[in-house]
Amino acid sequence: MFKKFEHAIRAGIVNAKTRWLILAFTLIAFIASVAMIPTGLVRVKMLPEKDSNTFNIYIKLPAGSSIYQTKRVSTCVYNVAKQNKYVQNIELYSGMGSPLDFAGLIKGSQFQNSENYAQLVINLTNKHKRDTPSFTIVHNMRPLVHGKCDNIIKNTNIAFVQPPSGPPVLDSVVAEIYGNNAKGIRHLASSVKNIFRHTKGLVDISTMEQKIYKQYGIKINTDKAQLSGISVKQINNILYLAFKGKIVAVKNSNKYNYQIPLFMVLSNQTKPFNNQSLHAVTSKLSSLSLMNSKGMMVPLISLITIKPVDSDPMILSKNLKQMTNVMASTDMVSQIYPLMKARDKILKQLSGRYHITKTGLFNLRLVSKQTGKIYNLKWGGEMKVTLQTFEQLGTAFIAALILIFLLMVVYYKSYKLSSIVLLGSFLSFPGVVFGHFVMNLFTTDTFFLTATSLIGFIALIGISSRNSLLLIDFTRSLMKEKAMKKADAIAFATVTRAKPIFLTAVAIILASTLLASDPVFGGLGVALIFGTIAAVIASLMVVPILLYMIDLKTLFNCHYKKVVSIEDPDFD
Amino acid sequence: MSVHPYNPKNVAGKLAKVFINNPLTLVLGVFILVIGYISLVSMPRQENPQMVVSGSNIIVALPGASAKEVERVIVKPLERKIKEVKGVEYIYGRALKNVGIVTASFYIGQPQEISNLKIYNEIMQNMDILPKGAMYPIIKPLNINTVIPIVTIAFFNKNKHHSQTYLYDKVTHFQNIINALPNVAVTHIKGGHKHQFNIKVNLHKLSAYNISLGQIVKSVQSLAYDVPKIKNQTKNKKIVIFGIKNAVDSIKDIQNIIVAKYGGSPIYLKQIASVSNGYNYQNFRSAQISIRGKNGKFDPLKNQVTLTVSKLKGTNAVIIANQIKKTLSRYKTMLNKEGISYLITRNYGKRANSAVNELVKHLIISIIIIAVLLIFILGWRESLIVTFTVPAIFSITLFVAYLTHQSMNRITLFAFLLSLGLLVDAAIIVIENIHRHFHSIDLHHHSEVDLMIEAADEIGAPTNIATFAIILTMIPMLFVGHMMGQFMAPIPENVPIALIASLFVAYIFIPYLALRILKKPKHKQEHK
Repeated sequence: MFKKFEHAIRAGIVNAKTRWLILAFTLIAFIASVAMIPTGLVRVKMLPEKDSNTFNIYIKLPAGSSIYQTKRVSTCVYNVAKQNKYVQNIELYSGMGSPLDFAGLIKGSQFQNSENYAQLVINLTNKHKRDTPSFTIVHNMRPLVHGKCDNIIKNTNIAFVQPPSGPPVLDSVVAEIYGNNAKGIRHLASSVKNIFRHTKGLVDISTMEQKIYKQYGIKINTDKAQLSGISVKQINNILYLAFKGKIVAVKNSNKYNYQIPLFMVLSNQTKPFNNQSLHAVTSKLSSLSLMNSKGMMVPLISLITIKPVDSDPMILSKNLKQMTNVMASTDMVSQIYPLMKARDKILKQLSGRYHITKTGLFNLRLVSKQTGKIYNLKWGGEMKVTLQTFEQLGTAFIAALILIFLLMVVYYKSYKLSSIVLLGSFLSFPGVVFGHFVMNLFTTDTFFLTATSLIGFIALIGISSRNSLLLIDFTRSLMKEKAMKKADAIAFATVTRAKPIFLTAVAIILASTLLASDPVFGGLGVALIFGTIAAVIASLMVVPILLYMIDLKTLFNCHYKKVVSIEDPDFD
Repeated sequence: MSVHPYNPKNVAGKLAKVFINNPLTLVLGVFILVIGYISLVSMPRQENPQMVVSGSNIIVALPGASAKEVERVIVKPLERKIKEVKGVEYIYGRALKNVGIVTASFYIGQPQEISNLKIYNEIMQNMDILPKGAMYPIIKPLNINTVIPIVTIAFFNKNKHHSQTYLYDKVTHFQNIINALPNVAVTHIKGGHKHQFNIKVNLHKLSAYNISLGQIVKSVQSLAYDVPKIKNQTKNKKIVIFGIKNAVDSIKDIQNIIVAKYGGSPIYLKQIASVSNGYNYQNFRSAQISIRGKNGKFDPLKNQVTLTVSKLKGTNAVIIANQIKKTLSRYKTMLNKEGISYLITRNYGKRANSAVNELVKHLIISIIIIAVLLIFILGWRESLIVTFTVPAIFSITLFVAYLTHQSMNRITLFAFLLSLGLLVDAAIIVIENIHRHFHSIDLHHHSEVDLMIEAADEIGAPTNIATFAIILTMIPMLFVGHMMGQFMAPIPENVPIALIASLFVAYIFIPYLALRILKKPKHKQEHK
């Protein structure tokens, strides 16, 4: 059987026609596999989603909402969540974030300390005891929650936060909008938000902007206050004390682990305003009076004027530049594709109001046609991490190639042989890409080409170059020591080396089958399985042909000092 | 038997020669397996690799200032100062009404303590840039270890009669017990209400009696005051201690505080305000829990108190979580008697352990599959030898990882799974060559020892170079930056070690084991 194989290889490399046929086929396969990525036949994502036993739901009402309004929304979300059969228990944290996790740390959950925030922690049954992965549960629950609870209070944001499979990011799609005027940023942010809303694949859209709401501003008539012997501090204090309450004293206690405060505030019956109108506020404040230094009572209302004003929204900056974020999550898709769609929409829909130019790879620069003010839109979040990672892994990959090339040059002292090794090591790439394409056909969810696939590919470079190396080494010793002819030596070496190459290939494939079913490391598993198959084909077919095409005799310094050629024992 | 013993040219043959008849080889083998096992058991386990995220939040309050003012006088000057600090990657500023928050986040991998110190220094040196009226800046370093709890426990009342503060008080006692456990860093309580005397003033009565709120505050403050006991000596030098009893002792004392005089008669606090011994109801924050009962239906949401526990850096989450679990079950009956139930709502220790165990299981299954495969192709003796090398290689790798303070996590095991296919390679090549030499008629007259050494020596050079090539592909991954780089770091850290270990194990142990396990085929000698 080995004989047949050997003859087949020998015939293959000697015949120029089959040689070119195989090489042309390899080239086509390579180009086709590369083309599968930009055409979207194989989709790219940094890391796939992982199945976990818990996830959070962040609820954010517009700034200025009360804890009671927040509770109405969170109760609604709770009622939807408990319908799911995989949910074991639900924790609800109102007015604060849930106990911090890594994703929460990046998302700033620790700053969510006001009445308009709530978080739910949903704990699921153990993943080994359920057939639906957590991301599918979220995928199914999301539209139900949004449908029922979004409109209880207008402008409520409800976001599902799952434990990330890799490093956490602020969100999948983050548009950072920079500019130097708050109003313009706000306006542009709301346009971008609107575009995100109508982009398929983007969910849980929110901005970091605080909604502007109505407030009442109190202006103190300082002349009057001074004349009546009342300080501004006194007025501030009394208002705070009356409506917000204050700890006025503490009492030490040997029973508890803390001092017991004495808290003073107006009573529940007399504190509330009748309604939100200016009149109600004025009439309530008019029943408060202050005592001046002479012990005379001065009515508060005589010292102040109350005026309705807009609230004072938060001003955000990043690296000393004023900015805001528009954020969206993705639903079971890679963020790259909806992001590109949204970007196209921005280019199209906002071109009426802004002159838009492209900066960097995907970023945009918008100049308002009306005011001439300049805004920059940069993509942050997962997109930035993806670009960085793929760029750096790509660089790492090129560096690896150069290092291997140099190593081969040192070892063989030949550029040609080193180039063959390098070329051979590339040839696992079609296998990796086709593997992902095939897997995608068989899985219900999209099977993404991920960073782990890329790591697999980098490892495959090493494996392929090792195969080529052993092949070349054996050919060299056959030619040098046994003075075999080039074609014979290559064919014999290929057949002899085929066994360990097959063995290790099968070992790698078997070791990777368990990986292939893992949601996170699946990419690596598939890359290794299909890449190894491609690498074996490359080592046993393409590399021998390439070897045959160069002048090995001079390279290996074969001088044929021995006149008698020693036949291999197997040859007789 | 050949007259001249084989002289190895390569490190592979030399190693094989040194160890093939050395009695210490066996001891070395056992030793490697033992240290590997110890490392496997005692390495701290985590779900994901430890990431060093350094950063600090600087919070400065300026009461009464608008967001715009805060931005100009607090956030911007602070941002400029932080820009001077080396190693800071991002500066985030948030200007809100009354308060400004500046977050400095360092490049990934910057040492935490030094980074924290840098920020602290910078702010302390520049206190003068803060405006008048600004409160003292609060600098809170983001310590990922202590900030993120590894275990959270929800405590809740079983019956509804207990007061609002009951749960909180009980859990604070329990907090001390948990906090005393070794390697527990920070415990924190979320939800629950504290005790408080509530003085709720009736606005109508206030105006009726013509009293200002300020007066009430003053009179309450004048009574609720604590001083330490006073020590004095008698004439014959004995000590007498006396002290003023706190005027406010019970709810009655507060109710009977005289606030003002109205037409000659005193007005007591109870006349214009309701005073109660209650809880801090002004705290709008609350934590609730709802659990699916045995009948599959959810209990209604009820109030809970969450106790969060975080660990010190570099300690084993699995051990700490188990300790906490044990402590909890020890106190279970006591808590039960007090009417308190609990539920562990987060357990990173368990999560890490199951993630690690699952991958270890995968690893073992993969090794078995490969062993079975080798039985069919090479024979069971050869398969046995190769299968031994895998745990030996992993033992060495684990031990190195343990020495370099790595943790055992998903990515470490992922590196092992990745290298599994690569590292049986050297072993297979050596054993295959030994096999070939054994069965070669040409070489049958060589001694078995020589055959082994020669077989190892022959493939030494290309195998070394090839392994080196694979290592080279992994090394550049070390230079991937940011969080993703840290996340992947166990791969370039461990795969090269495993590969180098695979070479040594293949050259040292395979000839040694082959000599003792493999049988040289006899028929060939007869054939000659």
